[in-house]
Amino acid sequence: MKNSRRYLLISLIVLGFMSCSDDDVPVANNVTLEFNNTFEDNTIVLGDATSSEATVHTSDAGQVHHFSELKYVISNIRLIKEDGTEIPYNVNDLDKGATVVDQSKEATLQYVLSDIPSDEYVQIKFGLGVKTELNNLDQASFPDFYAVAGANDTQMHWEWGTGYRFTKIEGFYDTDNKELSIHTGSTIEGEEGSYTQGVDAYRDITLDLPTNAIVGSGSPKIKIKADFDYLLSGNSYTITLVSTTDITNNATPSAHTATEMMKFVDNIGGNGDTDITGMFSITAVEN
Amino acid sequence: MKNLIRTVAFVLLLASCSNDDNLELVAFDNPEVSLNIPSDFPELNSAVYNNLPTQYGIELGEKLFFDNKLSADNTISCSTCHIQKNAFSDHNKKAIGIENRIGLRNVPPIQNMAFMQFYNWDGSKLKLEDQPLVPIITHEEMDSSILEVIGKIEDDEDYIELFYKAFGDEEITPDRIYNSIAQYEYTLISSNSKYDKVKRGEGETFTEEEAQGYAVFKEKCISCHSTELFTDQSFRNIGFPLNSNSEEAGRSRVTGDIKDYMSFRVPSLRNIEYTAPYGSFGQFATLKDLLDYLSNGVLEADNLDPILKDNDNRISLTDEEKNNLISFLKTLSDKEFIGQ
Repeated sequence: MKNSRRYLLISLIVLGFMSCSDDDVPVANNVTLEFNNTFEDNTIVLGDATSSEATVHTSDAGQVHHFSELKYVISNIRLIKEDGTEIPYNVNDLDKGATVVDQSKEATLQYVLSDIPSDEYVQIKFGLGVKTELNNLDQASFPDFYAVAGANDTQMHWEWGTGYRFTKIEGFYDTDNKELSIHTGSTIEGEEGSYTQGVDAYRDITLDLPTNAIVGSGSPKIKIKADFDYLLSGNSYTITLVSTTDITNNATPSAHTATEMMKFVDNIGGNGDTDITGMFSITAVEN
Repeated sequence: MKNLIRTVAFVLLLASCSNDDNLELVAFDNPEVSLNIPSDFPELNSAVYNNLPTQYGIELGEKLFFDNKLSADNTISCSTCHIQKNAFSDHNKKAIGIENRIGLRNVPPIQNMAFMQFYNWDGSKLKLEDQPLVPIITHEEMDSSILEVIGKIEDDEDYIELFYKAFGDEEITPDRIYNSIAQYEYTLISSNSKYDKVKRGEGETFTEEEAQGYAVFKEKCISCHSTELFTDQSFRNIGFPLNSNSEEAGRSRVTGDIKDYMSFRVPSLRNIEYTAPYGSFGQFATLKDLLDYLSNGVLEADNLDPILKDNDNRISLTDEEKNNLISFLKTLSDKEFIGQ
């Protein structure tokens, strides 16, 4: 029995070598997504209120601001082939297909997609946030992502809405460094097609690749720029932060509820209709 | 159908074990418990029909409701804030969680939940089964997680037995925890106040003051506090002092609609005698304080309720009317419900 097993193994190995002898391209390889969080072309450096190193930016409305914390969730990733076929990447498994990009943690700026079928890809789609059907803090189903998102230094659980925070931005604005704190997440209730209340802060992003990503013997890197200039100066809204309770025309610097959040959501994630890129763009594909 | 499968599976299980004397199996018998639905109460929330209370589901839910293991440091349970003698609320202005952490809002009473279409001050939840997870994970409340809770109870013989009796097997799942707590809460129905007995003609009568208070109520309160629940379950901004916490936006926190800014669900008035302080974050220590405020004039707001807007931002009441009204409100006290 032992011998026959050994023979089987050897023949399999031989067969394996033979089958590859004509063609060295593996059936699948990695694709790395690299996130560069910027204000326009400057990579963001975080800092506290009086930091001299933090990247300071000026909004279209003329308000200087900088961030001390910058996090967002990316999930529902799909790569699209030339013929339009979508290759979904664990889109229904948050443990294997979702990540928290955290500017304070270098390692989170690279997200490796494994086992992507060898092919040429022309487009990438992903979600900013978590799609509604998975956005219920289901720890039993996705314990790893739940733990990563809920870590003390991450705080991406939106407890009262029993969903995830999609973005969490803390920082300072105006020359006197008043605090800003912008959190987004969904409050939508009901089943798809018949939502009963709430807002959907999930945004599906579609980006064309400037050059094809060739997966095969190579494992390409797709460089994604997230330009947080859009937060206050986006395609949808030019926002002035105001510290009053009159929020009809502007936005208070503390958006922790659905009330004002959607302005920021539409600015950075697009309005889901005419704007499907939001703050994101592809700067390069390295094959 | 599910029940049939469960029964068949169980019979098979029994058959397969018939030679094994070590297993003590009892027949799976967990009868539905019909809710005692008071006449004239509104429709049940449709979620109730998908989670009908059962004898052991209720028993399990009650055990969980009173279990400190639901909190990270095993110091508080649901019943710590939802105290029966206060109609399952408490006397703090804002909820107090583990390590004395202060929450955002006043603890709402748990009563007649089966008939509510919205839960919480802002109506963020539409099904009671979706609610128990919120306090379990909220930092200012129990600050735990559902797997942490399951880890603490899964080896407990009493729980193993109750999960078995309630659901037909011993598996402890998040949904079973949420469902059983909701089942227990569905049974908390208050409908035996003096008001109810007067209405039902059970030999009680209003005093002169109560009767006059009822007349004031029907003139000045009933447009919002309507139905036998004493709430029309709408969301309104009635110009109460504002909670300055940046997490607070009232109903618009959920809907994102500026018209709902600082609007809150009209609270039931049942058992109001036991649920002081009043308001979404306990702004008023007594009913008298609250009525004084309403009578003197409330805060202006763009979306202030039209009933107030059209009446000079107030509901004017004489001192006598206030006293009579309070007498009437006390007829909504249900001593049986609060266990006295």
